[in-house]
Amino acid sequence: MSKIKTKPKEENKTPMVKIYIMGAVHEVPASLTIMKAMEYAGFKITRGAGCRAGFCGACATVYRKAGDYRIYAALACQTQVEDGMVLTQLPFVPAPKGKYDINKISPTANTILKFYPEVARCLSCNACSKVCPQEIHVMDYVQYALQGQISKAADESFDCVQCGLCTIRCPAEIPQYHVATLVRRLHGRYTMISPETLEARVEEIEAGFYEEGLKELMNLSEDKLRHKYYHERDFIDQKKA
Amino acid sequence: MVQYSYFPGCNLKTNAKGFEETAIAVSKKLEAELVEIPNWNCCGTVHTMTSDNLMRRIAPVRVLSRSKKHIETLGEDTLNEVVTLCAMCNSTLKIVNHEVKEDQDKLDTINFQLEEDDEVYDHDMEVKHFLEIIRDDIGFEKISKSVVNPLEGLKISPYYGCMLLHPDEAAIDDVEMPSVLEYLVESLGAKVVDSPLFKFCCGSYHIVDEEKIVDTQVAKIVEAARSRGANALVVACPLCAFNIDHQQKILKEKTHGKEPLPVFYFTQLMALALGVPIKTNHFEDHHVDPKPLLKELGLSGSKKSK
Repeated sequence: MSKIKTKPKEENKTPMVKIYIMGAVHEVPASLTIMKAMEYAGFKITRGAGCRAGFCGACATVYRKAGDYRIYAALACQTQVEDGMVLTQLPFVPAPKGKYDINKISPTANTILKFYPEVARCLSCNACSKVCPQEIHVMDYVQYALQGQISKAADESFDCVQCGLCTIRCPAEIPQYHVATLVRRLHGRYTMISPETLEARVEEIEAGFYEEGLKELMNLSEDKLRHKYYHERDFIDQKKA
Repeated sequence: MVQYSYFPGCNLKTNAKGFEETAIAVSKKLEAELVEIPNWNCCGTVHTMTSDNLMRRIAPVRVLSRSKKHIETLGEDTLNEVVTLCAMCNSTLKIVNHEVKEDQDKLDTINFQLEEDDEVYDHDMEVKHFLEIIRDDIGFEKISKSVVNPLEGLKISPYYGCMLLHPDEAAIDDVEMPSVLEYLVESLGAKVVDSPLFKFCCGSYHIVDEEKIVDTQVAKIVEAARSRGANALVVACPLCAFNIDHQQKILKEKTHGKEPLPVFYFTQLMALALGVPIKTNHFEDHHVDPKPLLKELGLSGSKKSK
């Protein structure tokens, strides 16, 4: 992050609030998100911004509110500024990451403990769940992983965007979001029932069922291909539907 | 059917699946169903002896609080009790429950952490081991009436270990003369073989770094039972079970000694006697396979089921 310029002060009718970015006061429009407010204040965000739609988890932010002892955490692109907010962004969360070959491990509690032994230190304090911007029951899935209930842990952690806030808050120093990745991989590889229709389709493809059709398409001229794509294709017309 | 809020503990889901599955199956047969708390966390073991380390007591108090919430979803007859199978969980939960009931200040400090999660504990729960439910609620009479395959030929030495009887806050029976396992074994039609080493330490967590200590303890425990005529042991603790079961196998390989004795959880014996399908026992997880002995005694098939 680098400060590049300050916006000249001018008449502004939109309601403004005062926020403190890394301790320095800035006046910003009250309607902005934290991320937009930082940019409005002149910060160029080079790390810690991604989709800007609450899906990627790149923009973890911690803040305090005026007159409130609590430390809050959120995604900067999803949270509106408030008057008196003191904030900073966390562009990166250092967390150890296990290295494994998914085909050589088993969906058990011992696998979790092998790559993330810290999981056994969980105190059930629930600090991770309280801080999660996705409102995931983080502590619960860490516990399910410790109990070897891999599928349950995978389901519970499904909405994780890997912002890393849980890891920053954990007194047992567990990298929860990496544990979550491991349980979901184990679930996908070993415990999830694979859909029959998908397997049948893969078999069809491998048996060469579509080869001829594809070849035919490849040999068409661009005009004919265009015609096929726009006029002959079987699709729902959104306007008529 | 009476329902109980049941707290499994991590071992019941990993090393002791047979313990849990047989317990649930027999609980249904005896109309005292164990219903698992959907979102349980670690019991907080090993219980910390540092009396002001409240951080380590959040887990057990949270268990009690979540169990209370779980009870609200169960039948009307359900009492404010959380039932455990693992002796270690039972001990940890009982001790902490006792501590916070005695010391309101401690509970207030812990509740301050649980407040935001809406999981404040109101010191209104009791921790019960399933053996207590069997003895005090179900009764041995009902159990012997439900037996369809009497365990004739099994000569069983009850092994309590430390956690079921110590310390006082966690004891489920008389410290010097416990009898609950003896009565249970008898009501299932098996013979009880008393051993003086019924609570001689199994070696506990030394299994992690000082296996030899465990070897010595296990050799003595098993020999005391064998020399008095036992052909199997019954336990209630997954750690005792692992140590005695696993180390006998190691000892046999090392010393070319006598045939090891199979180790049963008390619920596995109940399941065999009550006609629960044998696969529920997960005997494949045992290191000393009990199946040959059961086959020899004609107990391996569920002949009749009720």
